[in-house]
Amino acid sequence: MYRKIGLFALMLILATTVVFAQGAKESGKGETVVLRMGDNIPDRSTGWGAVIERINKEFIEMHPEVKITTESYQDQAWQEKVKIYATANQLPDVMKYWSFSTLLQPLVDGKFVEPLHMDTFKQYGYMAGALEGNVYNGQLYGIPVSADLWVIYVNKALFEKAGVPLPQSWEDIVASVPKFKAQGIIPMVTDGKDGWPLCEMFDNIQQRFSGSFQPVADAIERKARYTDDNFLQTARYIQNLVKAGVFQSDLVTSDYGASRNLFGQERAAMYMMGSWEMGLATDPNFSDSFRDNLDVIEFPVVKGGKGNSDDLLAWFGGNYIVNAKSEHKDLALDYIEYYAKVFPAYAWETQATFPAQKVEARENDTIVAKKLLDIAADAKTTSGTPGLDRSTTAFKETHQDLMRRLMSNIITPEAFVAELDAAAEKAAK
Amino acid sequence: MTRYQTERNAKKTLLAIFLSLFVVAQVFPLLWVASYSLQKSGDLFGPELLKLPVNPVWNNYVRAWFDGKIPQYLTNTLLVVIPSVTLSTVLSFSIAYACTRMQWKLRPVAWFIITIGLTIPIHTTLLPNFIWYNFFGLIDTRIGLIISYVAFSISFNAIIFSGLLTGLPYSMEESAFLDGAKYRHILPSIIAPMAATGFATVGVQTFLNHWNEFIMANTYLMSEAKRTLPFSIIRFQGQYSSDYAVQFACMTLVALPPLLLYFIFNRWIVAGITAGAVKG
Amino acid sequence: MKNLFSDKKTIALLSVPSIVIIAFAILAPLVVSLYFSFMEWSGFGAATFIGTDNYRELILHDGTFYRALLNTFLLMLVTIFLQNPFAFVIAAILTKLKDATSRFLRTIYFIPATLSLVVVTKLWVSIFNPSYGFLNKLLQGIGFQNVQIAWLSNPKTALGSVIWIMVWQGFGWALLFYYSGLMTVPKELEEAAKVDGANKFQLYTKIIVPYMLPVIQSVVVIDVVSSLKQMEMVYLSTEGGPGDLTQFIAVYLYQKAFRYSEYGYGNAISVIFVVLAVFLTVFIQRIFSERSAGKKRVGA
Repeated sequence: MYRKIGLFALMLILATTVVFAQGAKESGKGETVVLRMGDNIPDRSTGWGAVIERINKEFIEMHPEVKITTESYQDQAWQEKVKIYATANQLPDVMKYWSFSTLLQPLVDGKFVEPLHMDTFKQYGYMAGALEGNVYNGQLYGIPVSADLWVIYVNKALFEKAGVPLPQSWEDIVASVPKFKAQGIIPMVTDGKDGWPLCEMFDNIQQRFSGSFQPVADAIERKARYTDDNFLQTARYIQNLVKAGVFQSDLVTSDYGASRNLFGQERAAMYMMGSWEMGLATDPNFSDSFRDNLDVIEFPVVKGGKGNSDDLLAWFGGNYIVNAKSEHKDLALDYIEYYAKVFPAYAWETQATFPAQKVEARENDTIVAKKLLDIAADAKTTSGTPGLDRSTTAFKETHQDLMRRLMSNIITPEAFVAELDAAAEKAAK
Repeated sequence: MTRYQTERNAKKTLLAIFLSLFVVAQVFPLLWVASYSLQKSGDLFGPELLKLPVNPVWNNYVRAWFDGKIPQYLTNTLLVVIPSVTLSTVLSFSIAYACTRMQWKLRPVAWFIITIGLTIPIHTTLLPNFIWYNFFGLIDTRIGLIISYVAFSISFNAIIFSGLLTGLPYSMEESAFLDGAKYRHILPSIIAPMAATGFATVGVQTFLNHWNEFIMANTYLMSEAKRTLPFSIIRFQGQYSSDYAVQFACMTLVALPPLLLYFIFNRWIVAGITAGAVKG
Repeated sequence: MKNLFSDKKTIALLSVPSIVIIAFAILAPLVVSLYFSFMEWSGFGAATFIGTDNYRELILHDGTFYRALLNTFLLMLVTIFLQNPFAFVIAAILTKLKDATSRFLRTIYFIPATLSLVVVTKLWVSIFNPSYGFLNKLLQGIGFQNVQIAWLSNPKTALGSVIWIMVWQGFGWALLFYYSGLMTVPKELEEAAKVDGANKFQLYTKIIVPYMLPVIQSVVVIDVVSSLKQMEMVYLSTEGGPGDLTQFIAVYLYQKAFRYSEYGYGNAISVIFVVLAVFLTVFIQRIFSERSAGKKRVGA
């Protein structure tokens, strides 16, 4: 028995040595100021992540005493982490976050966010309404970084393979389902696990029926009810889309990364997501055939509905905020000003995302980039913040949860709208 | 062959099939993952039921090692688990001894508290400790994690030790007392060796449990720098989630240490269960 | 001599650290939980006292909570009445095999139990994946073409799939417990029964199972406790969905606190959970001690 214990101890010592040797190589040296950052962009080798790394590198060149450490998670996990950090008073110095009241308001109220000077940032070419979306209690609290347009990315090669033309309406999409399935192609994928894309779709389809985005804002403010006909119609319609087989079969357990990868791996013909994913066109993780065939179309119409394809579900979601309790506030503020200055150009250069600031269209922009610029420019009406983000956290979670249930066929559209309305009522109190 | 013999052979074959099915059920999932861990991610989508690695892509393991941040997370696990297992073993042995072989009025109360520890689910302390540990500055520290790990493992381990200690004759201590020996000599030199199998069992089992623990680490640890080994696998979400093969390689790597430990020390795991469940 | 057995200093030294740690890390937090269960708090900012509102909402209106209880109960049933009998039968077979074979099989059967829950969950999530997972490929292979069952998303299969993962992982423990127990059955008992003309079936049902009652009791208690404790496997796979069909109590309280920012409510669930756990454990042990007490009177 002692021999076995000895063997075990030896293994442990060996393992520890190997591991410590690894760790030792990475230890830092000397006195440095560490700027802690956090975001929802785990991939740093390409796309948006690479742009941030570039900005970080240049910032460090300007401030040699600074070291930047970043932690990145997927959306939902990052939001949870921020809540946990806030409770433990351990927020990073600089954070990528969202301008929505559901997420930013609690932090602002808890005095975790450093107010910013509107004048400092006005000069950086923000689109109309972008900075305003980050104003709470009359103060600017964050700088918007992306203009978020709700679109459908398409893989033209898969459409050709199935013999399907690019859709104009959701009816077109439903009709194409059998053709896609015959080729083993998933018609459309999106992140059903997190649920919020389903809520965006809900708002958007509502508009396609009623012709206006306003009912959503009204329902939140209790000037209208989610039990009104237009919403009930929307819920029924969406449930029928699922029944028709439009989405991936594991929609509600398919998270952001999984659904994105289904599309990137050319298993799905369409990906319902926002303009921030334009980086798909230059993502080296995916094949040439995928990138060369990538295109984007406006959110389809509903036949017989009053909404048009140039009515755009658009908002300024992603932003950067500074921790009011940061020990390196000046450096943090310098950082985000530099970010505001260079980000649009850098991001557009590699087509990483759709900035909230004006950019110059270029010759060698990807098809997707050009299309998105057009879609933004052609938009007749825009929605502003989507419904799920206009209220409380509990409402958002309930809305997401209800969408998942609706699209898993667990509740009826009637029950769906009733519960959604009850949640809105509760949140308004 | 007699009819009896044919019947027996038939029964034996049936038995063998039955047992083999269970072997497959228990082990196949791991083999499936291990097999694809040595191939390219795209191979997973192929039509075959199970493809064996013809040209093993060992690079997947290299990438799993680095993308999964295994060295850092492994260090952290060791930094937490070695103290927690040591502390848990020593403390549970001590209190088992005090409650089974020593005389004191509050003995039943103390033992009651120990047994309560068994029924309280870990997850009921996650929320309050968030505030409670934060008050003591224990959030995002390895020590906070160690304290929780030790606290929740004392009960079971003490019960194992108590099973072993109750059977010993009191003459062991008594003759030592006569020789003028004190407890600080008696416990390690005389009593502990008698419970040697208990130490082995408790040590190995506690090591396995703490090594694999996830949810407390997920709730109490914040920074990247402190994460433990289970988080290596979690890293393969989002952006990396298309790297199925590398993710599988990571899962295999993380599964190996407890497996190896189990293969070497399984005798003590069985012994512990006998002591704990059968006699306790 | 008796003095040293009651030496106060030694007793304190041996027992106080454990008691202190348990009090600090387990008991004190329960009190904190109770405190917050009467509050409404998002996790930052000020907490408001709302009395028993959380409990009222939970007990009277929360369908998800009861779904979670139901799922726990279903898991217990499957574990106790399906997994355990299988484990018992296999353990019994193992005791009759050659030692080397028995040891080999035992080792293999226990492997899943050594794995981290993270590994186990991610493993099965992959196997259950509709596009590349082994299960669908197998079904397609044996003739069910175009089967694309999303095992963990489909309302009909989600709970079963999740319970399967849990039962798969716990099988090794049950096997080991029963095996160890069966090995302690004295040979004389079996031989005496054979002499009395008992066949295999009677031997097991009338002699061995009653003898093994303490072991069975331990296993059932552990089954009950571990069914209550399910969290990681759900958290890392379905997160309680679709809807709340695979919801479990520990997952729910975690989500309420950290996702919905309803920290007070989460703590109320936590408190009820503790009460439930303690009550169930004591209850089960009572049942068994009554039965074995009865047996003792009859004489064994």
